Amino acid sequence: MPDAPEASIPAASQRGGYSAEARMDSPSAEAGVPAFRHSRLQRLADRWARLGFLACSLLVVGLIGGILFFLATRGLAAFLPLAGNTGRVLSFSEVFLSADWAPSSDRFGILPFIAGSLGVTGLALLIAAPAGVLTGVFIAKMAPAWMRNLMRQVMDLLVGIPSVVYGIFGLTVVLPLVSRTWLEDAPASGFAVSALILAVMIVPTIVSLSTDAFESLPSSLDEGAQALGSSRWQAIWRVLIPAARPRLLTATVLGLGRAIGEAMAVQMVIGNNPQWIALMRESTDRAPFLRALFTPAATLTTELVQELPNTAAGSTWNNVLFAMGLLLYLLTMVLILATRRLGRGREA
Amino acid sequence: MNAAVPVFRRSRTSKAVDRLMRGVLWAIALLFVAVLILFVGAILKQGWPVLNLGFLTKMPETLDAGGGIKPQIFNSIYLVMLSLAISLPVGLGAGIYMAAYAGQGRALRFLRLCIETLAATPSIVLALFGMIVFVQAMGWSFSIRSGALTLALLNIPIITRVTEVSLLAVPQELREASYGLGATKLQTIFKVALPYAATGILTGLVLTAGRAFGESAILVFTAGTNASAQFPDFRLTVPGETLSVHLWYVTSDGTLPDAREIAAGTAAVMILVLLALNLLVRLVDRTIRRRTR
Repeated sequence: MPDAPEASIPAASQRGGYSAEARMDSPSAEAGVPAFRHSRLQRLADRWARLGFLACSLLVVGLIGGILFFLATRGLAAFLPLAGNTGRVLSFSEVFLSADWAPSSDRFGILPFIAGSLGVTGLALLIAAPAGVLTGVFIAKMAPAWMRNLMRQVMDLLVGIPSVVYGIFGLTVVLPLVSRTWLEDAPASGFAVSALILAVMIVPTIVSLSTDAFESLPSSLDEGAQALGSSRWQAIWRVLIPAARPRLLTATVLGLGRAIGEAMAVQMVIGNNPQWIALMRESTDRAPFLRALFTPAATLTTELVQELPNTAAGSTWNNVLFAMGLLLYLLTMVLILATRRLGRGREA
Repeated sequence: MNAAVPVFRRSRTSKAVDRLMRGVLWAIALLFVAVLILFVGAILKQGWPVLNLGFLTKMPETLDAGGGIKPQIFNSIYLVMLSLAISLPVGLGAGIYMAAYAGQGRALRFLRLCIETLAATPSIVLALFGMIVFVQAMGWSFSIRSGALTLALLNIPIITRVTEVSLLAVPQELREASYGLGATKLQTIFKVALPYAATGILTGLVLTAGRAFGESAILVFTAGTNASAQFPDFRLTVPGETLSVHLWYVTSDGTLPDAREIAAGTAAVMILVLLALNLLVRLVDRTIRRRTR
C-alpha cells in the first residue's frame, strides 16, 4: 500500500493549469513556507479519513442495492408468496400482458400504463431530440457569443423550474388554450399536451449534453470540411453530427430517462384515465391517431401518484403498484448501462 | 468516421439550403427563449394579484377561501436545509474519494456508474424507497425526518459529482507544491484543494438547494400533504407540507374554493425564489471570476 502521498494523485487534471500563479497566494505567500506538522497522529488521521471517504462512496453503492432490494421485496410480492403478503399471488402474464386494470374487481393489467409511459415519452422525444440536438449545434458552432450566453441561461432556468410549476402552467395555460383553439372547447388533456410539456422539461438535458458533444469534437473536422468547400450547414449535417453521434444518442437516452420518470407535471395534465385503451377502442373516430392524442390517459408514474395513497400496504393492489415502481427502476438501470455501451462505441 | 472524404457541392440549392437551415436553427433557439419568457410571464401574471403580505404570512385554510402559505414556506426552507445537512457530508466524502483516492481503474468506473444511476433514478422511485424504509419500516410515518432523509438521496449524486469535478479542476501544480512542502494527503485536500474548489462546490450546492426546493414527488409520499398547525414547528416527527407539495395538493384535491388562486400565488413565489437563487449563482460566479483573473 503506497504510504507516500504522491503515489495516487489523479492524473485527470489536464484541464487545470490556468491561473496557477494567481492562486498560489492562498497558502500564504508572505509568511513564507507554511509549517505542515507530520506527527504520528496526522498519519493516523490520514488513514482514517481515507476510510471515511471510502465509507461515503460505499454508502452510495449500498443505496443503489438498497433501493433495488426494498422495491423488490414489495414489488415481487405481487408474483411470489413472500412473508407478510396479504394479497393474491398473480401471474406475470395477467399483469404485464393484460390491458384490463380494475383493482376493485381484482384485475391488474398494467399494459395501459406501460403503453402510456412509452407513448408520452416517445412523443416528447420526437420533439425534444431534434430540437435539442439542433440547439446544441447552434450553441456550439453557430451562435455569436452573446446568444450563446443567453441560451445557456435560458436552459439553466428551464431545467431549474420545478415539475409542479410546469404542471400548473400546463393546467392553467396550455390546456385551455388548446381546447379553445383546436378542440371546440372539448377537454384537451392527454398525450399531446403532456408530451409538449415533457419536451420542454427534457430539452435542457439534451441541449447541454449535445453542446458538450459538439464542443469536444476536434476543430480540424470543422475546418477540414470548410476547406473542402462545405457550407456551414453541410459541415454540420454531413460531418459534425455524424462524428458526434454516439454522444448525441447518449444525450437522447438520458433525456428519455428523465421523461419516463417524470411524475407530477404529467399527472397534472394527462387526465389520469387507466381505461384509455378501452376508451380508444370503442371510439369510431375517423382519425384514431389524432383522437389518441387528446384522450385522457395514464402512465406508470401518474398512476403511482394517483393511487398509491389510497391502497393498504401488503394488498394485491399495493403490491402491483410497487411492481410498477420496480419496473421504472430497472428501466433506469438499463438506460444507464445503454449509455455506457454507447460511450464504449465512441472510444473504439 | 468513414475514411471517405465527403464531396461538397456548391450550388444555388446548397446555398439556399444553408441559408434556410441557419434561419431554422436561429428560430428554434429563439423559440426556447420565447417559451421561457412566456412561461415565467404567465406564472407571475397569474400569481401577482394573490401575492401580498397576508398571503405570505397567514396560516392556510382547510375549507374556506383566503388562506395563506406561511407554514409551507417554513417547511420548504427547513426541509431543504435538513436534507442538505444530511447529504453534504456524504456527497463531499464520496466526491473527495472519487477525485483523490479511487485512482483511474475499475473502482472509479463502478462508482461513477452508481452515482449516475442514482442521479438518473426517477424521484417517484426514490419516494417509494423512502416510503418503504422511513415511513413504514422505521414507523416514522409522514414526517419531516422521513422527508429530509429521502430528499437527501436526491441531493447526494449532484453534490458528489460537483465535488469531484471541482476537485479535478484544481491545478496539478498546487497539489504538487503542497506535497513538496511536506503536507500529507489529508492536509493537501483540506488546506489546498478544497479551498480552491470551494466556489465550484458552493455554486453546485445552491443549484442542489434549488432542485430540492422544487421537488414534490418525493415529499408527497414521505413528508405528507399536511402542515403543522403550530408555527414555527421545528419537530422532526410532524408532517411537513412544502410549497411545491401544497401547489400540487390544492390543485388536485379541490376542496378549497380558491384553490386556483392559491396555486397561482404559490407558483409565483416558487418562480421568484428560483430566479433569486439563479441570480445568486451568477453573481457569485462573476465575482469569483473577476477576482481570479
